[in-house]
Amino acid sequence: MTTSEAKAVRAGSATEHELLAEARLRVDLLGEVTSALTGSLNLRRTVLRLLDLLTPRVADWAMVVLVDDTSGLTLHGGADPTFATSIPRALIEGTGVERVLRSGQDELLHVSVELDSTEGLDTMIPHPRLREEAVELRPADVLSLALTARGSTIGTLVMIRGAGRGFPDDDVEFAGQIASQASIALDSARLYQERGRVASILQASLRPPDLPAIPGARVSARFRPAAEHLDIGGDFYDVHGAADDWLLVLGDVCGKGVEAAVLTGRARQGIRMAAYFDRRPSAVLKALNDVLCENDSSRFVTVVCARFHPSPDGSSAEVDIAVAGHPAPIVVHADGEVEQVEVAGIVAGVVPGASYTEVRVRIEAGDTMLMFTDGVDEARGSDGFYGMDRLLGLLPDYAGAGPVALCEAVERSVVEYLDGRAHDDIALLAVSCER
Amino acid sequence: MDRAVAEFDRALSAVDGRAATSLVRELLDAGEDPLAVLVDVIAAGQRTVGERWQRGEWSIAKEHAATAVAVSATEVVARFAERTPVTRGRVVVACAEREWHALPALIISSAMRLHGWDTTLLGASTSPARLSQCLHDVGPDATAVSCSVLGALPTTRRFIEASTTAGIPVVVGGSAFGSDPTRALALGATAWAPNAQGAVALLDELPAVVRRAAPLPREPLAEQSAIELGHHRLVEVLRGRWSPAARAAPDDPLARKLFSAACGEVLHQALHAVSATLLTGDPRPIPETAAWIDRLLTARGADPRLAAELGDVLASTLRDFPTAHGLVVRHWADGLVLQGETAS
Repeated sequence: MTTSEAKAVRAGSATEHELLAEARLRVDLLGEVTSALTGSLNLRRTVLRLLDLLTPRVADWAMVVLVDDTSGLTLHGGADPTFATSIPRALIEGTGVERVLRSGQDELLHVSVELDSTEGLDTMIPHPRLREEAVELRPADVLSLALTARGSTIGTLVMIRGAGRGFPDDDVEFAGQIASQASIALDSARLYQERGRVASILQASLRPPDLPAIPGARVSARFRPAAEHLDIGGDFYDVHGAADDWLLVLGDVCGKGVEAAVLTGRARQGIRMAAYFDRRPSAVLKALNDVLCENDSSRFVTVVCARFHPSPDGSSAEVDIAVAGHPAPIVVHADGEVEQVEVAGIVAGVVPGASYTEVRVRIEAGDTMLMFTDGVDEARGSDGFYGMDRLLGLLPDYAGAGPVALCEAVERSVVEYLDGRAHDDIALLAVSCER
Repeated sequence: MDRAVAEFDRALSAVDGRAATSLVRELLDAGEDPLAVLVDVIAAGQRTVGERWQRGEWSIAKEHAATAVAVSATEVVARFAERTPVTRGRVVVACAEREWHALPALIISSAMRLHGWDTTLLGASTSPARLSQCLHDVGPDATAVSCSVLGALPTTRRFIEASTTAGIPVVVGGSAFGSDPTRALALGATAWAPNAQGAVALLDELPAVVRRAAPLPREPLAEQSAIELGHHRLVEVLRGRWSPAARAAPDDPLARKLFSAACGEVLHQALHAVSATLLTGDPRPIPETAAWIDRLLTARGADPRLAAELGDVLASTLRDFPTAHGLVVRHWADGLVLQGETAS
C-alpha cells in the first residue's frame, strides 16, 4: 500500500482503522495473559498475575473467587491485589456467585447510583470490605465470569467497570476469552498445589534430620541430593544418643531419587530401633543386615556407623567404628596429618548372617572425623573421578578448622569440580571434640 | 556495643564458637536491637575475617573456621527472630550457584524475619531448578538474592529469570553488585539493596507482580556464555602464560603454597570479572578486580608488576572475544593506577 492509499483508507474509514487497532490490542493482551499465566505453578501467584493483567486495562476492579478443597471459597483481590480471605460456602447460598459456580454461565449486571441498589453487588461480591469498594464505583457494570477448566467450574472472575464505562457485547466476549485462558492456568496451579501439599509432607519426613547438640562435641552435616530440587535422595545420616554415648550414622541406599529416599527412611528407622537394643556399631549393622536380608528385597544399603564417646572435658573422644560396604571415615588431625580409618565390612542386605568388625580410634582436640558417601569421590568432572587422592589432598588445608568448615570445604570443592555436571547424592557428616 | 564488637572480634580470632554465641545471647537478653547485633557486631566482625585472609594474615582454614563461628552466632539471632510473629508476607532468600558465602543470606533472612516476614532460606550455591521449585511451592511475595562474588552473577541472572517469569519481584544485594544499582538493574532485578536494613525496607515498596525480565543484550551475552563454557580451558591457558610462581618472593614452602593457592584464585576471579562486565555492561568489575588482585598478591610478597602483567596476559588470551578483549585493554590498568595512588 502506498502512502497516499493508506491516507485514503484512514480518511475514509477511521472507525475501521480504530477497530483494527483495538483488535490488535486485544490479541496482544490475550497473548500476554496466556504466556504470563503459564509462568507460575503457584496458585496465589497465578491469581496475583491475573489481577495485575486485568486492572486497569480490562476492568477498574477485579476479584477472583476460587472453590478451595475444604468446601469453602477463597476471595482474592479487589482494590488491593494481595488481599485474600476465606469464606464458608454457606455464605453464598442463593447468591449470584453460587449461580455462576453451579451453572458455569456468565452474568452481567448493571448497578446504578441509587443508594438502595446495592442488591446486585450483594449477590456477586460476598464480602463487606470488597463490596464497599465496589459501591464506590457506581454506576457500574459487574461482569461475573465462570472459570471453567477441564470440565469443572473452579471459581468465578468478577470484574467491574465504573463511572458508566460499561461492558459492551464484544468486550464481554473478549473477557470470556481471557477467563477461559486463565481458568486452565488456575486449574493447573490448583492441581499442582494439591499434589505439592501431599508431596511436601512426605518429603519432610524423608529429609535428613536436624542435628542434635552433642555435649563436648561439635558436629556438622551436608546433603546435596542428585535431584537438587527435590531435597531428598538415597544418602542419609542420623545422629542419636545421650550424655556421653552417641551414634553417628551415614549411609547410602542403592538408587537415587524418590524411591531411594523411601528406603533411607526405613533404613534410618531400622538403625534407630537396632541401636535401642544394642548400641555397638557391629551389632547395629548386623541387625540391619539381617532385617534387610529377611525382607527378601533386592535393595542393599551401605552404612558407616560410629559410636562416639566424648570425654567429660570435651578434649578428646573414643570412637568405635564399623562399616557395611561403605568408605571408611577419614580423621583429619590437628597437625594436618590425614588418615583413613582401617575398617571394612560387607554391604548390608546381601549376605544373611554376616557379621561386622569394629575398630576403636581416639580423637584428640583439634582432630575432625569425616564420614562421606561415594557421591564425593565418584563425582565426575572434566578430569574423570574426583577421587580419594584429591579429597585426601584437600583436607590438610582445613586441619583444625572444625566440622562446619570441613564439610563446607569438601562440598564446595566437589561441586566446583563437577562444574555443573550431574552428580550422585552427596552426603557428609563430620564430628570433632569441642575444644 | 563497641565493647561487644571488640569481644566478638576476639571470639572470631580465637575461633571460639562458645564465646561468640554466648556474647550474642547476652546482647539479645540485655535487649539490644537484634538487627544491630546482626549488622554492627556479626557482619562487621565477618568483614575483618575476609580482610585478614586477603592480607595473608590468616590461612584459608582459619578464615573458614572463623566464618563458621560467625554463622553459629547468627543462628542464635535467627532462632531469636523465630519468636517474632509473622505479620507480613513471605520471602525466599537464596544464594546463586558459585556463591558459597551463606552468611550474608542468613543475616538478611534473619533481618527480614525480625520485621515480621516469613522467610524460607535456601543455602549456599543453589541451582536455578531448586529455586524455581521452591518459588512454585511457596509462592512468595518476593525473592531476595545475596551475591558477594562476581562469579555468581550469571546464575543470579537465572534466578532473576526464574523469579520474574513467575511474576515475583526480586531484591538483590551483596558486594558483587558494587555500590549502586547499575549491575542489579542491568540483570533485570526489581530492586537493589545497599545493605540488610535497605533490603528489609525495600520489601514494603515492591510491586505485587512484576513482568518477566527483558532478555540481556545478545552480543555480549554470547561472548559471556562462550567464556563461561571455556572457563577451565582459559584458566589453564592463563596459568601457562602467566608464571608468577617463578617470580614469587617467598622462600619457605608453606608461604609458597599459600601464594600459589592465591594465584589460582586470582585467575578465576579475573575471568569472572570479565563475565560480570559483559553481562551487566558495567566495566567497573574489571578495574576493581585488578586492584583486588594486586592487593592480594603484594600482601603475599609478590613482584608489584605481577597484576599488570596478568592484565596483558588476560587481554591476549581473550583475543577471540572482541568485546571482552577491548574491555580488559581499556579498564584493567585503571584499577592498578587507582591502587598505586591509594598506596602512596
